[in-house]
Amino acid sequence: MQTLKHDLVVIGGGPAGLAAAIAAKEAGCDDVLLIERDRRLGGILNQCIHDGFGLHRFGKALTGPEYAQHFIDRLDALAIQRMLGTIVLSMEGGHVLHISSKTGFRRISAGAVILGMGCRERTAGAICLPGTRPAGIYTAGAAQTFINLQNIMIGKRIVILGSGDIGLIMARRLTLEGAEVEAVFEILPYASGLPRNIQQCLNDYGIPLYLSTSVIDIHGKERVTGVTVAEIGPDRRPVPGTERHVACDTLLLSVGLIPENELTRGADILIESRTSGAYVDDAFMTSRPGVFSCGNVLHVHDLVDYVSEEAETVGRNTAAFLKGDMRPAESHIDIKPGNGVGYVLPQRVGGEKDFVLSLRVSEPFRNRAVLVREGKRKVKRKKMVRLHPAEMIRMNVKVDKIQDAMSLEVSVE
Amino acid sequence: MSKKELTCVLCPNGCRLEVEIEEGQQIIIKDVSGNLCEKGVEWARQEIVNPMRTISSSILVEKGELPLVSVRTETPIPLKNIFDVMKEIKAFRVKAPVNIGDIIIEEVAGLSCNIIATRNVRKIS
Amino acid sequence: MSDHYDVLIIGAGVVGNAIARELSRYRLKIAVVEREQDVGMGSSSRNSGVLHSGINYKPGTLRAMLDVQGNSLMEGLCRELKVKIDYIGKLTIAQDKDDIKTLQRLKEQGEANGVPGLEILNADQMRKKQPDVGGIAALWSPTSGIICPYGLTIALAENAFMNGVRFFLGHEVTSIQRKEEGFLVNTGNGHRFTTTILINAAGLFSDRVCRMLGINEYRIYPCRGEYLILDKRLKGSLSVLVYPAPKENMPGLGIHLTNTVDGNILIGPSNEYIDDHDDCASTSNIMALLRKEGHELLPMLSTSDFIRSFSGLRAKQTSPEEKGYKDFVIESRKDVPGFINLVGIESPGLTCAPAIGLMIKDMVAERIALEEKKSFISERPGRLGMFSELPAEERADLASQDPDYGEIVCRCEQVTKREILEAIQNPLGCKTIAGIRYRARATMGRCQGGFCLPRIVEILEKDFGYRLEDFILNRPESRLFTGRAR
Repeated sequence: MQTLKHDLVVIGGGPAGLAAAIAAKEAGCDDVLLIERDRRLGGILNQCIHDGFGLHRFGKALTGPEYAQHFIDRLDALAIQRMLGTIVLSMEGGHVLHISSKTGFRRISAGAVILGMGCRERTAGAICLPGTRPAGIYTAGAAQTFINLQNIMIGKRIVILGSGDIGLIMARRLTLEGAEVEAVFEILPYASGLPRNIQQCLNDYGIPLYLSTSVIDIHGKERVTGVTVAEIGPDRRPVPGTERHVACDTLLLSVGLIPENELTRGADILIESRTSGAYVDDAFMTSRPGVFSCGNVLHVHDLVDYVSEEAETVGRNTAAFLKGDMRPAESHIDIKPGNGVGYVLPQRVGGEKDFVLSLRVSEPFRNRAVLVREGKRKVKRKKMVRLHPAEMIRMNVKVDKIQDAMSLEVSVE
Repeated sequence: MSKKELTCVLCPNGCRLEVEIEEGQQIIIKDVSGNLCEKGVEWARQEIVNPMRTISSSILVEKGELPLVSVRTETPIPLKNIFDVMKEIKAFRVKAPVNIGDIIIEEVAGLSCNIIATRNVRKIS
Repeated sequence: MSDHYDVLIIGAGVVGNAIARELSRYRLKIAVVEREQDVGMGSSSRNSGVLHSGINYKPGTLRAMLDVQGNSLMEGLCRELKVKIDYIGKLTIAQDKDDIKTLQRLKEQGEANGVPGLEILNADQMRKKQPDVGGIAALWSPTSGIICPYGLTIALAENAFMNGVRFFLGHEVTSIQRKEEGFLVNTGNGHRFTTTILINAAGLFSDRVCRMLGINEYRIYPCRGEYLILDKRLKGSLSVLVYPAPKENMPGLGIHLTNTVDGNILIGPSNEYIDDHDDCASTSNIMALLRKEGHELLPMLSTSDFIRSFSGLRAKQTSPEEKGYKDFVIESRKDVPGFINLVGIESPGLTCAPAIGLMIKDMVAERIALEEKKSFISERPGRLGMFSELPAEERADLASQDPDYGEIVCRCEQVTKREILEAIQNPLGCKTIAGIRYRARATMGRCQGGFCLPRIVEILEKDFGYRLEDFILNRPESRLFTGRAR
């Protein structure tokens, strides 16, 4: 078997991998190889034909493919080497990768690795959805692939479970394509997607959104004929007497994204259960030296602009690591989520430089503050009008505020 | 006189706006409240009187390496015209190669808005 | 015009296919008619995949004899057919003194049935086999094991086909008439068959076939068992089969954990009598129960470990009031000469299958002189197991010769394009998406086809000329798509 050597291998040619590879090269790492399993670069952006990408970064509302093209052009201009249609089968010890493609099997020995594998969608099986298993049950992303990339319509009368952005985007897409979207059902008492999407994907088209409601049965032996929905009580069980039948031929699931960390786990890299992504420090380095993580595989993002920013930081850090410029910090500060906070990232910092703290609240709040503190001492406070689990919050934390700290807690007050 | 509730989408604050409307021959905005800045007021007026949207869709490609090219409205169009625009988009075909930014349909549905390609589609060899 | 056969088998489940394969050793014109679009679409693919040792059955019954015989035949059969099998052994656990009495009874019963290697283990000994297992004692049965049930069903059919058996998929038997020479069998699509010997291996519908011949003494009561499939990452925790000691009148063997030969863990099955002979839904109450059991038996289980649920139906002869089991009905009917009838082949039907094949062969031999074919091909071509299970160097070699071995289509299960193509081009001519799934394992992983299904659809469209209406999940009406967007 052929063994190749590269200084840096970036796994994933979506927004995270693209930005990371470019930043690493620009920071002086010449030997970069980007590996992508699809036959073209762009990752999930290729099928996200709706706009809203790049508002922060470019000041324009671009579509997914347009946003991706910016980075693909730069990748080409920098002549960064890439392998398309190639899958990383395993990552041993974090530095030996086994890859497979039409041109065969190969082993790559890497000086450093950046993980940019993105996410997969949560499935009907994973949420233990009851009922039959006919044709016509799709995750929203798979339906998006079929419609946008393969010119295939997956149904005529649609019920959507889950009010995440992917489901909302598909509600609009399917309506514009002539399908009837009956309703969106959301198990939580609040919508998981952005308000802009509730307005422009549901309200614009008169598609009702039912909160605290879920699908409790699927009907149809060969093809979906309908679903039974019911209100879900605070005990997360259906409220008796609220069941009703909704006729449809398609059930679309938009019930969450799961970072694809199979490779990461296989390399015995520590994963945090809150994010389902790797534990990282403020350099975004994982528990294995020389292996970095960014983008959706690290934690699920809602704005691709922040994915690019995060990935660029990782690219620069990795270049520094390869040059030997990255000293491991002498001690570290653990950061934990407190009241009202679902997760924080990074989960530990060296305390030697400024860093950007990313976090999500665990439920919606209005007119509160996010507080970073060490014991009782306030480190940073951010007042916000609207705090929502669907919108990642980012805070700049200055090093002079955290020196000598042992641990930090982030909470909503 | 009626009241309409909107959630402003201009910035992450997501102010909940209450708009008092007088509906007659024309829609007259009487008052906007709940906003933290002036941009919200202007947005609310537009949103009530003539909501504008950008839409994205796909157009069939002939002889391309992909069957569809993703497209979008170059500038916002009135919400009420969306299905007219979709009708034209669905009927249209374009020959590969298509380049990102190409104008595929000029002044779609008689509006002063072009439909532009948002990706490259090469010709199949 | 009708096709005439020496033997016509109704039902291409594991039993029907085992019979077909056994009979294909002889100079006979054999046909199998199957209502579904693929083999094994009934109970055969929807069970725990367990090979039973034979301790649970009353000596002298068909269940007992055929199970022990089938169990010992299975190893050689799987080697010939390239089917995954693993005799991992089973611990039947006692929680109290009553249970220990049950274990002793089972040991005696097993020994009377000819089951080898049975041993009662104390707590220390049983924890050597399975650390952390609860209970005070256990009966160890080393010939218990696991097998891929749909893999076996497909392999038997493909080998039978290779040896001249004709398979008619999508042919539901609607009526049967007795003729002088045998039987005239009509199927729903207007096809007619005449046959000298008719074998009823219709499983859940075996009573329906009986009634077509005026035999009204049998009734099948479908009893549904639900399962949850768990992530492979939990596999290491379970090395042997672990069952609770059976209690009085339990309709099944209780909810337990089972390893699969592919590395997943199954929780189940439940037991629920239903009316519909065709309802394989999952229910929220049972799934909640299975999840609860799962968390108790596997402390490290998390919600992201659930891959999928499925259910299967047992063709029980005992009613909900009767409960328990009746012995298999395997008879060469004297009142309907030439009709060989199998009714109520529920657990341990899978284990019994090879032995049932031999038993039926003997019954056929009573009516037709059997002449062995020298040309019988006992080995099935291909590799055992998935490409991804081969050693790395071997995979690298094969991939360098065939680029389709290098191209991975199903990321979660690392299924190569070559395996997908082989599944599409299967010898039986099955054209469903489920058919590809059962043969290649694609879409069975964590993402359940989210990544690979669009790619499989593309291969079928571009390389095999499938039109959108050709994409069916498992039945003609189970269309995946409704048309083009443009």
